[in-house]
Amino acid sequence: MKTAVYYKTKKITINALIHIFLLTMVVVCVFPLLWMVFSSFKTQETIFRDASLIPREFHFENYCLAWQQGGFGRYFLNSILYTASVVIGIIIVSSLAAYAFSRFRFPGRKILFIIFMAAMMIPVPGSFVALYVLLNKLHLRDTPFGYILCMISVGLSTSIFLLKTFFDKMPRELEDAARIDGCSKLGIWWHVALPLARPVLAVVVVFNALNVWNEYILALIIFDSRKFMPLQVALQTFRGEFVTNYPLLMAGLTITALPIILVYLLMQKYIVKGVTSGAVFG
Amino acid sequence: MKSFLRYCLAALLIFGISALYGCASKQENKTVIINIWHWMTDRQAAFKELAARYEAKTGVKVNFELYAPSDAYTQKVRAAAQGNNLPDIFGVLAEKKDFASFIKAGHILDLTPYMDAVDGKWRSSFFAKALAVNEFPEGNSYGIKPGVYGAPIDITTIQMVYNKGLFKELGLNPDNPPSIFDELLKIGRKIKANNMQGLVSGWAEVWMIDCLANNYAFNIMGEEKVLDTLRGKVSYNDPDWVKVFSVFKEMRDSGVLASGIVTMINKTAEQLFANGKAVFAFNGSWCVNVYKGMNPDLEYAAMLPPKASDKYPMAIWGGAGSSFMVNARSQNKEETVKFLKWFTDKEQQAYLSGVTQNIPANKDCLGSIPGTLAQFADDMELTTHPNIWGIWEFPVVTEALDKGIQSIIIGEKSPEQVASEVAKIKEREMAKKKN
Repeated sequence: MKTAVYYKTKKITINALIHIFLLTMVVVCVFPLLWMVFSSFKTQETIFRDASLIPREFHFENYCLAWQQGGFGRYFLNSILYTASVVIGIIIVSSLAAYAFSRFRFPGRKILFIIFMAAMMIPVPGSFVALYVLLNKLHLRDTPFGYILCMISVGLSTSIFLLKTFFDKMPRELEDAARIDGCSKLGIWWHVALPLARPVLAVVVVFNALNVWNEYILALIIFDSRKFMPLQVALQTFRGEFVTNYPLLMAGLTITALPIILVYLLMQKYIVKGVTSGAVFG
Repeated sequence: MKSFLRYCLAALLIFGISALYGCASKQENKTVIINIWHWMTDRQAAFKELAARYEAKTGVKVNFELYAPSDAYTQKVRAAAQGNNLPDIFGVLAEKKDFASFIKAGHILDLTPYMDAVDGKWRSSFFAKALAVNEFPEGNSYGIKPGVYGAPIDITTIQMVYNKGLFKELGLNPDNPPSIFDELLKIGRKIKANNMQGLVSGWAEVWMIDCLANNYAFNIMGEEKVLDTLRGKVSYNDPDWVKVFSVFKEMRDSGVLASGIVTMINKTAEQLFANGKAVFAFNGSWCVNVYKGMNPDLEYAAMLPPKASDKYPMAIWGGAGSSFMVNARSQNKEETVKFLKWFTDKEQQAYLSGVTQNIPANKDCLGSIPGTLAQFADDMELTTHPNIWGIWEFPVVTEALDKGIQSIIIGEKSPEQVASEVAKIKEREMAKKKN
């Protein structure tokens, strides 16, 4: 007969194994970040010579140099403007579209939705030249507005898919009640659907904010003027064809990563809810 | 509902601001502005300085716009070509056939008349081999009107470098690197006996293997026979090719090659050599700048790969490192060419070389370049490059050759096996081409 000691030992062993696994995962995930932060305080020479994680001397001036040489001030503002505009644009358009796909019956609904989903399969670099030619014809090339429109279109498919899945599972009774209270279709979307969709919206915000914040190839292609470039382009200043200025690059990466880590931390609880949202209506 | 409208208005306001932000950038300007697109991050500061000097001298404003990394730059140039939005000066980072397609589409100006003016003064200022990369000779296979379509701004050669300190440790004369292959093998045995690492290189990026294999092919069988192999007239089963493949086997057996070289990327190889952990490296002239950043105190020198045969001279890959092309549709064509002439002149080239540690394309300023860089430049006459051969090997054959050499190094295959496999693939591709 198995004793209480046996069960206790088994539980402790399993817990220990789980925690060792989780700790390993934490180290694997956090180590590159730590390496980035500590390397940002080293010199070009010590990065290649000194294998230790924590530098012997801290060169805080790397941050000032990265900020000045990379011209981070202007690019930072540009990135904030692009991220805010694109995320707002995506939320408005995708939530309206997803709600319509989920609740309204109109001819071509399915085929239209399939077309949107098919757009998810096209890799963004594959459409660069087409986007460039289109923007050129619309006289929107080398304008922030053209870039924002492109980035909104890039993020729409996934966001519509996420929100439609959520709206499909949302109880119709809530909408019926709102309708009895005199709400219009737009009113139901605004007063009922959107507040309930907050966890999914958080996921949409974080995914798209990350996408826009980290994007630079499309920006590089669309913009000729450096003054419109986003923050990621500034990081390329430190990456030469053969020589890379690692301390400044790491300092720049740390500066660039901070806002997005902040956004993630602020929305963390909604993201967890968003990921498990299926269970809420189940 | 009111709050919803407020949010919508706020969103519209953001869109409006960004639209105005874009429109505000369009300004009328009557002074001549030359726009240049490039990808060379480490040269931007030097380019800007030269632009300021040119503006002070002529009143012409020059904008150097940097778009990096180079693959994103390539996409930008392709997209701009589609929309006819190329700047006055740009670079084409691609194979010669892509360069030719830009010329055919009318995007690149033929610089021949400018090169040949005043008794060919501009043309003669360059290393002939650097210019050859941008040149299309009479009867070229691309169907391009013969001429020069770009100006080189610097050159690159790929050679071997050796660590002088480690040479001393091995009891060798640091001023007398091996010049023949047997000497190299002897050093390899010493390296092995002393538990040191021999030659490091980025041979995981297979083109560097291809480069050294070609060096030895030119040395063992001469240029004509190598080109005849590409034309399909000589088989890879030929004893000379087996000898080329055997070079790698002998280097492996003697201990010349560092362990793990076939999976080594060039950045790792550079780091190992810069930190004094490898006796030799096979690298391009750009390494001077790289090693300077990684370890300014490193004592090293450049050398040619030691000859395996006395029949033909050793050839190394080299030629134009970076080149600039003039937009044939530029509204400031004449001003642009004038600037490019000034930019590639002796004084500007010497400045660029000093600041960026690249070998200048202008041969008249070699006297003023730093030591190790000068060693790389000294062997410019021995350079060759697939871009100037006028004939290309099938990519699958090149791949089989490079991977075959990797197999020899790790002891999976013999030189004869690799030669036979590559020959079969070549025959298959030739048959496909005929059909």
